[in-house]
Amino acid sequence: MDPSRAASTPSHGPPGDGGGPAPEFPAGLRVLLVDDDPTCLKILDRMLRKCLYHVTTCSRAAVALSILREKKGWFDLVLSDVYMPDMDGFKLLEHIGLEMDLPVIMMSSDDHKDVVMKGVTHGACDYIIKPVRMESLKNIWQHVVRKKRNELKELENSGSVEEDDKHKRSLDDGDNASSGCVGNWKNAKRKKEEKDEEEEEMVDEHDDSSNTKKPRVVWSVDLHQQFVTAVNQLGVDKAVPKKILELMNVVGLTRENVASHLQKYRLYLRRVSVPQHHSRYDAHFGSNQEVTYNSIGSVGGYDFQALAASTQLLPQNIAALHSGSRSATNTGMGVSAIDQIGFLSSGKQVTNSSNIISSSVQQINSRQMNDIRGPSNNIALNQLGQSQQVVQPFGSINQQFGEGTTKFFGLPSSELTNFSLPGGTINEQPNNSLARHMNQHGQQFPISQQSCNMDITWQGLPHSRGQLLTETACHDSRLVSALLQQVPPNNISNHVSGRLETSANMLTSLPANYMNASCSTSPQALYPDVRNSFIIGLAGSCYPPVSSIGATPLTGSVKALSNSSNLKGMDNHVPDYDIIDEYHQNKSQDWKLQIVNLPYQSGQDRGHGQSTIDCRSSLMGNQDSTSTAKNVLNSNAGTVTKNIISTRSDIDKEKRECIDQHRTNLVENCNRVNYDGIPDISYQDILFEDNIITNELMNVVRKQQQEGIGQVDNEFNFNPPV
Amino acid sequence: MFIYTTPVYRLSLALQGFLDEQFYQLEELQDESSPNFVEEVVTLFFRDSSRLMANIDQALEQCPPDFHRLDKFLHRLKGSASSIGAGKMKNECAGFREFCSEENLEGCLRSFQKVKKEHTILRQKLENYFQLLRQVVPVDKATRSGS
Repeated sequence: MDPSRAASTPSHGPPGDGGGPAPEFPAGLRVLLVDDDPTCLKILDRMLRKCLYHVTTCSRAAVALSILREKKGWFDLVLSDVYMPDMDGFKLLEHIGLEMDLPVIMMSSDDHKDVVMKGVTHGACDYIIKPVRMESLKNIWQHVVRKKRNELKELENSGSVEEDDKHKRSLDDGDNASSGCVGNWKNAKRKKEEKDEEEEEMVDEHDDSSNTKKPRVVWSVDLHQQFVTAVNQLGVDKAVPKKILELMNVVGLTRENVASHLQKYRLYLRRVSVPQHHSRYDAHFGSNQEVTYNSIGSVGGYDFQALAASTQLLPQNIAALHSGSRSATNTGMGVSAIDQIGFLSSGKQVTNSSNIISSSVQQINSRQMNDIRGPSNNIALNQLGQSQQVVQPFGSINQQFGEGTTKFFGLPSSELTNFSLPGGTINEQPNNSLARHMNQHGQQFPISQQSCNMDITWQGLPHSRGQLLTETACHDSRLVSALLQQVPPNNISNHVSGRLETSANMLTSLPANYMNASCSTSPQALYPDVRNSFIIGLAGSCYPPVSSIGATPLTGSVKALSNSSNLKGMDNHVPDYDIIDEYHQNKSQDWKLQIVNLPYQSGQDRGHGQSTIDCRSSLMGNQDSTSTAKNVLNSNAGTVTKNIISTRSDIDKEKRECIDQHRTNLVENCNRVNYDGIPDISYQDILFEDNIITNELMNVVRKQQQEGIGQVDNEFNFNPPV
Repeated sequence: MFIYTTPVYRLSLALQGFLDEQFYQLEELQDESSPNFVEEVVTLFFRDSSRLMANIDQALEQCPPDFHRLDKFLHRLKGSASSIGAGKMKNECAGFREFCSEENLEGCLRSFQKVKKEHTILRQKLENYFQLLRQVVPVDKATRSGS
């Protein structure tokens, strides 16, 4: 089994240096995949990656919820199975709808009408019947877009350019609008708690206006952060919508969208810098459920630590905000708290509070336009980040996430201990070191994806380790062979040498062994087959679990690995991660290219394929299962030659026809098999038929090989085809 | 990757009814970036399904048998089988589920035997299939790299 292929490597991501073109939407859509069936999980993961989506896999609903809660705004879409052991899929659906409001697609092999109906009534965006086909997954992005458009409609309806209308409406909405900010804030808070009703209210009230308006973008957490980044880059004073739009590079975003958002942002910044009513703000916020709210101790004297912890704040921004807020003038803007809410709340919330904002905007518009700029903006808007999830503007958030990702990776390590993993928790050290190393190389998106997969693919402990290794070293066959030579010649090495598919496979077997040798906390009895699966995956043909690998021989391999990678004082727990470190430093370029598996990088893929071929040719030695890795590698050339020669024959166009004929013959043979009568055929008969077909197929194969080997023939003094 | 993408291979297995269209989907997912995907998935399937079937065995031995629990296992097994395109096995699982819903222990036992048989047969067929691929593919790749 090859976890690297399964879940870890993002199917695509922004180019490593951050300078390449951002991929077109929907590529990069961030999907959280939840399914307890590992087979389905793997298949779906692969399919989604082929669609160029970012995939995070999860086999437990509870874990999925934790992830969604911890990493708010990190996902665009959730794909979940219906029948899961720990939690009903519909329950998960409800939770997600309530807490994160992400589009959720349900999947099941159960296609009964009532189950599908249940999905609809629980709020699923779609229901896919298993087995899932690629075609079904290609278009799931539409649900993300649709949801965001709907949310935006509400948002824009209430907080639109026509502020006169909105002003009136806001006054209507706010019971205590006349009594000032407190009343308004209370109103906003109440509305937040009664989300659904409020949503309907908003939609009803502004329905007519929405029809006349153009569809707009929902300013999600991530989109907003991108916006903020762009604005900061340009300088808040100098930022113009056109340039911001260019910097953000989000498909579907118009200059008008950016312009209106920029206007709001500027107004918000002004208010935010005035610590006017933070005491009231505190009181109200204290009781709020949303993480964003809880994180803000006070508006004026911001609790920066809390902010930093809950959001991905850049340290310099925190400091800047300090200075920014102190220097803010008291403009008597009583609506600062409300504005805070407006920008911080969820999409639905914003609809209501922006009414209030717009009313206050009018009041201060004339006076406050050019006040407070600068870093304070960032923090306020980073806070925004948490509440909305929307189409990810792919590719440009790297800078924003600079240190954020480090902090982000700080989270998983502590989270790991919280997750009740089957079989104990993983030592979280490796994640941080890996994350750091990856971070240094600027691989923002792939890293985040990988870290997600590190933490989240709870198929079994070996997965995460395997992924870490495979991600960084999957291309380096030379290093693998070096490692292989140090692996003791036990079952592992035999299987591994027999199946030197890629270095990734090799390395995944090693961490499996590490698990055995070094993780005393993991109940090994639980995972003998998991460990063995790596070997099984490697060997390919041994389905029954290989006998449990004893700890003693593995110690040798652990040490060997340690020695080969020049570990510095790391304990045996994490030699694999130091290897990653070494790989990374040495091969960062290749790794980047490898990780970014974009179509237009097929050149690099071929390059990778090259090294893979070297490994693959070693498969020729598979026949001898006791051969050591060294022997296999050395005998590559010989065995390849042998095979080529053994299948040699005259090569010309007529052969193609023969092959075609052969194919037809084979097809006919297949057709002759009595499809209906198969249950009557005994096991032996089936195998016999298999052999017949196999032999015929092998002939076809050989002939085709000769076709393909045309050019190689020259080396062996064959007569080249004319 | 000409050889195992040729319809011949798939036909040979598919027409015999053991694997269906879904298996083709899996093969489509295999490419240079994931060169052993199909085999990995199949391996994963057999590991997981073996465990499931052991659980089913246990559940059937219980007195009285917990049909509800059995049904859950079966649903999972059927889903797995269908996801790799194991058509016959999926059908046998469906039959098993029928007996389960009727709480017909006798029928359950019989159909479970069938399920196990299909499982074994499929495993053997796929083993052969992959072995064949292993003999072919490396040469193919080697020649392609030369071209």
